[in-house]
Amino acid sequence: MDWLFFGEISLAGLAMGGLYALIGLGFVIIYKATRVINFAIGEIMMFAAYLFLAFAGGMEMSPWVALPLAVLGGSVLGGVIEKVMIRPMLGESSISVVMVTIGIASILVGLVEMVWGADPQLLPGFLPRKPVFIGEMYLAPKIAYGFLIGAAVLIVYLLYFRFSRGGVALRATASDQAAAYSMGINVRRVFNLAWVFGSLAASLAGVLVAATGGLSPQFGAIGLSVLVVVIVGGLDSIVGALIAGVFIGWLETVAGAYLGGEYRMPATFAVLAVILVLRPYGLFGTHEIERV
Amino acid sequence: MLKNIFSKGRRLAGIGSIAAALVAAAPAMAQDKEPIVFGGSIPLSGVFAFAGVHLHAGLTDYTTWINSEGGINGHPVKYVMEDTGYEVDRSVAAFKKITGSNTVPVYYGDSTGFMKTIASELNSRGTTLMSGASFATALTDNEQYPYQFVPGPNYTQMFGIILEYIATQGKDGKKPTVAFVYSDTEFGKDPIANGKAKAAEMGIEVVEEIVTKPGSVDVSAEVLKMRRARPDFVVFHGYVLSPINEFMVQMRQMGLDTQFMGTFWSTDKLIINKMGADADGYMGVMPYNYYDSAEGGPMLDALRATAEKSDPEAGYRPTGYMQGWFNAMVWTEVIKRTMDAGKELTAENMAESLASIKDWDTGGIIGIPVTVKDMSFPVGRIWRVNAKEGRYEPVSDWIHLD
Repeated sequence: MDWLFFGEISLAGLAMGGLYALIGLGFVIIYKATRVINFAIGEIMMFAAYLFLAFAGGMEMSPWVALPLAVLGGSVLGGVIEKVMIRPMLGESSISVVMVTIGIASILVGLVEMVWGADPQLLPGFLPRKPVFIGEMYLAPKIAYGFLIGAAVLIVYLLYFRFSRGGVALRATASDQAAAYSMGINVRRVFNLAWVFGSLAASLAGVLVAATGGLSPQFGAIGLSVLVVVIVGGLDSIVGALIAGVFIGWLETVAGAYLGGEYRMPATFAVLAVILVLRPYGLFGTHEIERV
Repeated sequence: MLKNIFSKGRRLAGIGSIAAALVAAAPAMAQDKEPIVFGGSIPLSGVFAFAGVHLHAGLTDYTTWINSEGGINGHPVKYVMEDTGYEVDRSVAAFKKITGSNTVPVYYGDSTGFMKTIASELNSRGTTLMSGASFATALTDNEQYPYQFVPGPNYTQMFGIILEYIATQGKDGKKPTVAFVYSDTEFGKDPIANGKAKAAEMGIEVVEEIVTKPGSVDVSAEVLKMRRARPDFVVFHGYVLSPINEFMVQMRQMGLDTQFMGTFWSTDKLIINKMGADADGYMGVMPYNYYDSAEGGPMLDALRATAEKSDPEAGYRPTGYMQGWFNAMVWTEVIKRTMDAGKELTAENMAESLASIKDWDTGGIIGIPVTVKDMSFPVGRIWRVNAKEGRYEPVSDWIHLD
């Protein structure tokens, strides 16, 4: 057994898992507050990455200005989607709302193809290119720095939800909407806030993942593959998304390295199947969840 | 400003071409004889649209050109197409619609999936010869697909040409080592088994074989495997851009002096435009001369003049454009040979005409005379990116496989 290789593979997997956790957070925040599974999360990621391309590539802004602008653009998009398309669906069946998010995903793909064309794209380089070594272990610089940025944002999120008024309101709404409403919490505003914050996490992950693997109108498919992460972790569990994200990232990478790239997905879906049998509500999810 | 923002990396040659398509038939109608219809299921939208708009432009411009030359034996040519979104069911529907309202001797298929799906109907109809975007090895099986051909070498033959080149690059009497990296798709897996057999036959060791998801994926773990295998050459197949760029950049960051090569769909300007200086040294097999190559010839000159006329703003025309044009050129040659022999335009007669093509001068589209073998044109050349000049330059002679 080449332990150095195993260590390097594991590091790469954990770092990628950090980005999965960030995308998973986008799913969970929205689901936790509004009980909507947002199938357009991948396309929101894609849209933010294209905004980054426009700002840093087309307008030649500094990438460090373009990055927050693109992430802001993605989160505003999330807020607008909630207000214009999701809020009118309040009270409708969850299947109808899910179909609306799938429709939104298609619209965003079409919009991106119309504006930026169908060519695959590479984002302007903005992460350091010098190889990162932890001891003797090599880690690709884009993955390493992407993980650091993602981790920093995750910590800010966790602190926000734990200590801020907005975070408390969101947790209260998630626990019991009627009670939260009776205590004076503006539940509609919380819904909107959840979409904004969920989209913000996804948008950041979108730019970081696109910086690593490239960008095309089909980029949003990655959002669906991260659905595995949130089902394993529990649809309404932020901690679950974080742990499952890191674990699935590691598992995928190790399976790909030792068994071959074609076994990446089967490995993760095998874990998903086992978890669904043993804990249908996910590792850290709430028992009362109704699946669609 | 807005134009600048949004046009970065954007190709909309298809818009001009769509307009051209609408008018292409106009001069043809002025001629007396019955028009010959070129049909097509064309992916103007969907995942393959980046190439589809250029394939369409190539087909459209060729139609314009051939009509300006008097058509085929006096018959005007009409190009009838539908957008398919690169979806097999829509391609099949387009085929049925177009062939239902026209007599269509030749047809452009947008994918291997569609061409395989439609094969049984094509065989039973016996009216239409088909080629298209696919270079799939399976389609050159004459037993199963007697009325389909590929407009260049099939993917196995592309690997053959690449391996022929690699075999000449050894030092001190040793053959270089090679690694294959391919996508986990039918397209990606196509030439791998045959490629490994060919490499073994030639004494080239395949030191690593990596399968990835297509498109936007993290490949840092796969690059770590390359660091240990240290191949002299990596051959990519089943991609357009990503993750080729990541393999190249990360392997170079690790200090490896590996050389990188690809097949048709990953050997276009897109790599240079998107990767910039990082693309320098990337090589690929290409059966056609590039639009901006130093090569010339009567047909290549006609192609450039027509392209310039149809869309003066477009500038460089990608390899998809060349492919669309060449497809139509082959159809014309096949129809002409069949007519000249006094035969009907049936699939069988046209397939016979195709098989009779020997030492055909393509007027500079391909640099040497070509001979059809098993419904393909097994010829190509290795080209290398000169990032400073922003183009591919030939590094081998034309290689025609036996």
